[in-house]
Amino acid sequence: MADKELTTHHLVEGVEAIESVPWINIKDLLLDFVRGLWEANPLFRLVLGMCPTLAVTTSATNGVGMGAATMLVLVGSNIMISILRKVIPDMIRIPAFIIVIASFVTITDLMMAAFTPELHHALGIFIPLIVVNCIVLARAEAFASKNTIIRSTADGLGMGIGFTFVLTLLGSIREFLGNGTWFDIPVLTGIMEIFNYEYQPMIVMILPPGAFIGLGLLVAFANMIEEKRKVRK
Amino acid sequence: MARLIIILTLFCLVAAAALARVHDVTKGPIAEQERLRTISALKSVLPAFNNAIDSEAAEVVVGQDKKGRDVRIKFYKGKMDETPVGTAFQVIAPDGYSGDIAILMGVGTNGKLSGIEIISHKETPGLGNKIQKEEWRNQFKGLSIDDGHKLAVKKDGGEIDQFSGATISPRAVAGAVKKGLEMYKKEFADGG
Amino acid sequence: MDNVVEILLILVSTIFVTNFVLARFLGICPFLGVSARIETSIGMGMAVVFVMTLAALCAWLIERFVLVPFELTYLRTIMFILVIATLVQFVEMVIRKTSPALYNSLGIFLPLITTNCAVLGVALLVIQKEMDFFPMLFFAVGASAGFTLALLLMAGIREQIVHARIPKVLQGAPISLVTAGLMSLAFLGFAGLVKM
Repeated sequence: MADKELTTHHLVEGVEAIESVPWINIKDLLLDFVRGLWEANPLFRLVLGMCPTLAVTTSATNGVGMGAATMLVLVGSNIMISILRKVIPDMIRIPAFIIVIASFVTITDLMMAAFTPELHHALGIFIPLIVVNCIVLARAEAFASKNTIIRSTADGLGMGIGFTFVLTLLGSIREFLGNGTWFDIPVLTGIMEIFNYEYQPMIVMILPPGAFIGLGLLVAFANMIEEKRKVRK
Repeated sequence: MARLIIILTLFCLVAAAALARVHDVTKGPIAEQERLRTISALKSVLPAFNNAIDSEAAEVVVGQDKKGRDVRIKFYKGKMDETPVGTAFQVIAPDGYSGDIAILMGVGTNGKLSGIEIISHKETPGLGNKIQKEEWRNQFKGLSIDDGHKLAVKKDGGEIDQFSGATISPRAVAGAVKKGLEMYKKEFADGG
Repeated sequence: MDNVVEILLILVSTIFVTNFVLARFLGICPFLGVSARIETSIGMGMAVVFVMTLAALCAWLIERFVLVPFELTYLRTIMFILVIATLVQFVEMVIRKTSPALYNSLGIFLPLITTNCAVLGVALLVIQKEMDFFPMLFFAVGASAGFTLALLLMAGIREQIVHARIPKVLQGAPISLVTAGLMSLAFLGFAGLVKM
């Protein structure tokens, strides 16, 4: 990953040097987007944003909801910080970022309370806690404050989708094993009923230990896949 | 240095202004969602009604808590074409497994329970939280304060099912509902 | 006497029954990042106790005297996080002056307390639970003590794990997470002890 990062870095310098020409480098854009999906997946590789992941993934729906809300904040703050990147003095950049991020979090919070009340109630305090989700501040500092608006948008989208992917995966596993359902559809319980057997869910999966162990094993699995990829190269 | 503080303050003001705008836009819908949630819960515990039930709610002081503060309960009166059909109010079971369980209970004009709904709880998923299941809550329908002895889990001599491995949650709910009916009888001695 | 019992119940509840790391999932990033050694864990724990208690106090005051009277509750998130960021800067300065050694060993983790979801989480929880002044204080103390306890336990285990043969894919975050899961399982035994 180090070599790829350096090459991308040189590309970035090159692109920015000719920024006066409205030149959108599609290859760069795709790289920025795809990076967040796997190579720099916030949860599997960067190990950021674990608090909400563990807390809200008691069901697949909650996982998707949280991922979407976080992505909204991520893209919004990335764009805004990219727009303001030449205007914010370096010394106060962290407080400035925090103000921008907190604003987007509040907007998302209010919108969800107004238009998606059940999800809002299910996610609870973890919606305002998006403001301390390390992913958002990390991308603001590492990328959005140094790159163009278009690229920051791509980065936000990629990271957001990568994050949502893991959330939904973990949420699905925990809901499936711990409740017999998937997105509230009684899959396992339904199948078991065909055989006249009442499914006794593995409740531990819905409880805290299930979250820790579930995520731990998922990360290990992702590591395994990455190892195989490296060997193949 | 002063310049930095001014810029930050400017940031804060712009942010605050933007948020105030969003707040104005969402204030209405948020209040509406709250109202819809209350109405939906009331619909499930009371017989059919068509009055503006939430605007006709009466708040009554029913006693004092351990710290001497007033305990206020909101009584929602449901009416169908101006004829009363029942009253709903919220009680809290303090002895749930993991804390308070808030229960909305509806009492018909005949003094019998028309339904209960669990508003909030912290019971264990898969065990205690089965109190939310409709089949379990339906056991309370039709019971009145005169059936007081029935308002307990089977283990305690009553008629309410307990769940194997999770007696505490159902017991707490049954107890709170019974106390609620006793309180209701005291406040509205003639049943409404 | 009643008050003492209430305080004890709050402490037992926040440290054991609903431990902020192992049951509420707050403060996971520093929990996994700092807990490699016991000394750093103690230093981090103490810093968090200080910051969290102050943060809860400020949050409570701001909510009661500013946000509610002026109907500005929608500014809660932004105000709380700015207060926390300021507090952390302040604590950083104090530690740098009084104990440079501690400052160096904590390194980047000190400013990271700002993004410690446990601190903002506690501030939001005391508002959500509508706590009075003294319960709020002990809630924050208990929460941070519980965080420190989890941190110490994890550090103790990780100092031993280093000597074990761990499969490559499990090294780092995965084994720590699974360990945390087993700890969480153990702490489940406290469930129902205190009803809060």
